[in-house]
Amino acid sequence: MIGTTPKPFEEISHALKGYEKVAVIGCDGCAKVCMTGGSDQVSQMVEKLKENSKNVVFALSPERTCYVDKTKAALDPLMDKLKSAQAVLVLGCGGAVQITRQVLENYGLTIPVKVGLDSVGHIDTLIMGELAIEQCQECGECILNETGGICPVTKCAKSLLNGPCGGAQNGKCEVDSERDCAWILIYNRMIALGESDKLRRFMAPKDYSKMAKPRRLNIKERRVE
Amino acid sequence: MKLTELFDKGEFVITSEVGPVKGCLRSKDGGAVPQCAQEAEMVRGHVHAINVTDNQSAVMRLGSLAASVRLKERGFEPVYQMTCRDRNRIALQSDLLGACSLGIDNVLCLTGDYTSLGDHKSAKSVFDIDSVQLLKIAKGLNEGRDMMGNALTQSTNLALGAVVNPNFEPLDLQLLKMEKKIEAGAEFFQTQAVYDPAVFERMTKKTEKFGVPIQYGIVIVKSPQMGKFMNENVSGVNVPDWIIKEMGSVSKEDRKKKAVEITLKLIREIKPMVQGLHFMPLGWSDIVPIIMKAL
Repeated sequence: MIGTTPKPFEEISHALKGYEKVAVIGCDGCAKVCMTGGSDQVSQMVEKLKENSKNVVFALSPERTCYVDKTKAALDPLMDKLKSAQAVLVLGCGGAVQITRQVLENYGLTIPVKVGLDSVGHIDTLIMGELAIEQCQECGECILNETGGICPVTKCAKSLLNGPCGGAQNGKCEVDSERDCAWILIYNRMIALGESDKLRRFMAPKDYSKMAKPRRLNIKERRVE
Repeated sequence: MKLTELFDKGEFVITSEVGPVKGCLRSKDGGAVPQCAQEAEMVRGHVHAINVTDNQSAVMRLGSLAASVRLKERGFEPVYQMTCRDRNRIALQSDLLGACSLGIDNVLCLTGDYTSLGDHKSAKSVFDIDSVQLLKIAKGLNEGRDMMGNALTQSTNLALGAVVNPNFEPLDLQLLKMEKKIEAGAEFFQTQAVYDPAVFERMTKKTEKFGVPIQYGIVIVKSPQMGKFMNENVSGVNVPDWIIKEMGSVSKEDRKKKAVEITLKLIREIKPMVQGLHFMPLGWSDIVPIIMKAL
């Protein structure tokens, strides 16, 4: 999922300055799991905005705000109210914000779309409602086959491909003493798999052209353009 | 002079590190002599070469290449340290060409301390390539081609050094990387600070067969506080209690003398296992000649 954290209300308030009638759009996908933009958080935001003298014209949480069709389907019945909004606040990831803007543009509406969350990347839930961690950078050339299913690009602070730096202490990373050194994890895993010799192979520099932004996925042909 | 030539001749190679200033080192003449040049002067005649750190601890300073060139002008043999933290593969290769063009003969290839440890914590970390890849690329430049296989008009001619941490657990994983570095092009190694000869012995038993020269890395513990600080804050280094106690057993004025005594004791035990010494005096360069004279 895409991890999100709430922006301070003061920042949101500042972004909405001058707009009295506001629509609030959350996301019942990732932002719901992160407890930042699901239906519950949308209701809380509505209350806060009302306390701050905003007129909330409507509020909803599409199933996945990052899908154009789902967002459009959720907004279609609310067209009159939407037209009256002076700004739309989205409690979703950066993708949800931009898809919402796209949907509004497709309607021919020029309404400012504001973001209430900070996106912190592709994150996977370890303990529901408590903890999610980053495991994948979407680098475009997965090397998990070579590293025992543990990604050094993501889990090593320095994204080292050929083994650890010298900085680990008691199995922990020099950057964060609470975090396991990814390369020690990989090494132990490869030993358990009886494949530690595979780590002797030189890993060539990554092809970062595969991460050149913005990527475009041709879903029909299953390739990046 | 390439350090590899000295190792080949069987010399016991001595290097000492200086950290470039946070500021400029504009010319040889005029103005106050900056700290890093002063420290180099202190060890003149007692070391074969001077390592010049590359924005050490991710603290922004004068670049290693500029400082290396300035030290070369002053008659020192620099070991230009290059980390992968701040530059991508284009910049690193370009700087290696630049180093060779400016008369540098020795490069130490490192990963680099992480950005958040320094004084520009919000900087974007690069780490486009790692130290093994950097060594392989540098070897390729020595052979006349860039990492994409494009021919150079003139090859570099650099002795390639690397680092290894004998304290690392599991050691075999660190040595696996050391072997990869040798395969990639590393011709000599300098170690992380070690304060226990047994730790060194454990490593050299396994690295003897690699056939590459290793310099024993020495960080001089200047005070009991520094020893404790290193244990708490410098990953991959263990300062034993006996050193902390001994440094605490003397008055402030006698600490340098005590540090000399401790360092000599360690060097004498570790010397038979290595092909050289690498001092990291962290401002106490003046004790390097004292140690070298006593050896």
